[in-house]
Amino acid sequence: MEKIVHKLAHVMEHIQPYVAYKVGPVEITDTVVTTWIVMIVLFAVIFFFTRGLSEKPTTKRQHIIEMIVGFIVDLIDSILGKQGRKYLPLIGTLFIFILFLNLSWFIPTLKPPTMDLSTTAAFAVTTIIIVQLIGIKKKGIVGYVKHFFEPVPFLFPLNVLEELVKPFSLALRLFGNMFGEEMVVTILFIILPLFLPVPIQVLGVLMGTIQAMVFTMLPVIYIASFIHGH
Amino acid sequence: MAGLAFIGVGLAIGLAALGSALGQGNASRGAMEGIARQPESSGDIRTTLILALAFMEALTLFSFVIAILLWTKIG
Repeated sequence: MEKIVHKLAHVMEHIQPYVAYKVGPVEITDTVVTTWIVMIVLFAVIFFFTRGLSEKPTTKRQHIIEMIVGFIVDLIDSILGKQGRKYLPLIGTLFIFILFLNLSWFIPTLKPPTMDLSTTAAFAVTTIIIVQLIGIKKKGIVGYVKHFFEPVPFLFPLNVLEELVKPFSLALRLFGNMFGEEMVVTILFIILPLFLPVPIQVLGVLMGTIQAMVFTMLPVIYIASFIHGH
Repeated sequence: MAGLAFIGVGLAIGLAALGSALGQGNASRGAMEGIARQPESSGDIRTTLILALAFMEALTLFSFVIAILLWTKIG
């Protein structure tokens, strides 16, 4: 019992990001290293799947890639309609990249970079900035400023707060899910290493996919609120 | 005193989980009834349900983050 408590106390230190290399004054954490590995894997996979595309799918590879693209297109179409198709590169990249990051623990010794708040915060802030820029482009500067004073000018602080909270909730949702799931697996692994963590890990695959989907759906909904109004 | 702090951490995550579990249960029940009544609209309902669940889940996760912050403070 004493041993388990001692181990539990060190769980946090194992799960938190650590400095892998130091280049001059810049500290490179394992999060960055893992992200680069995932990017290389992603590039190789996409490169393999997009060779020899034809108008009518003939190869198995093309069927698989068309299924994935079709899924994302359906997702955008169901919320934004046909005019949302031009956001496909942004939304699709978010989905595929976050999905691969979430499932990067398939490669032994790697842990998902989305377990680090820095990664999810970077995703959330850049996404929200792009969404705001799309909003400005759609409504014009005047219309964009005006939407803060709707429906009554009295609600201005609340509207500003709503926009400011978006990146926080996006970042914390992804971080909390991945971190919590990994922590449960680690603690179960300490208590009983055999078989016990497996069901939670199966759940983790499901969770990683759903979280990637949610993280891509929310920007679409934010864009939709700019296009259609509240 | 440290014992009380641990109880506080447990309550923070436990009460939040209780609330969002009730909410998620309600939402899932509504969605299932909707699908049972109109199976052809199951696609739309599923998408909306997942989004709604994610919003409710976020509340628990906020308190999870707060609980971890508290826990590391006790140390």
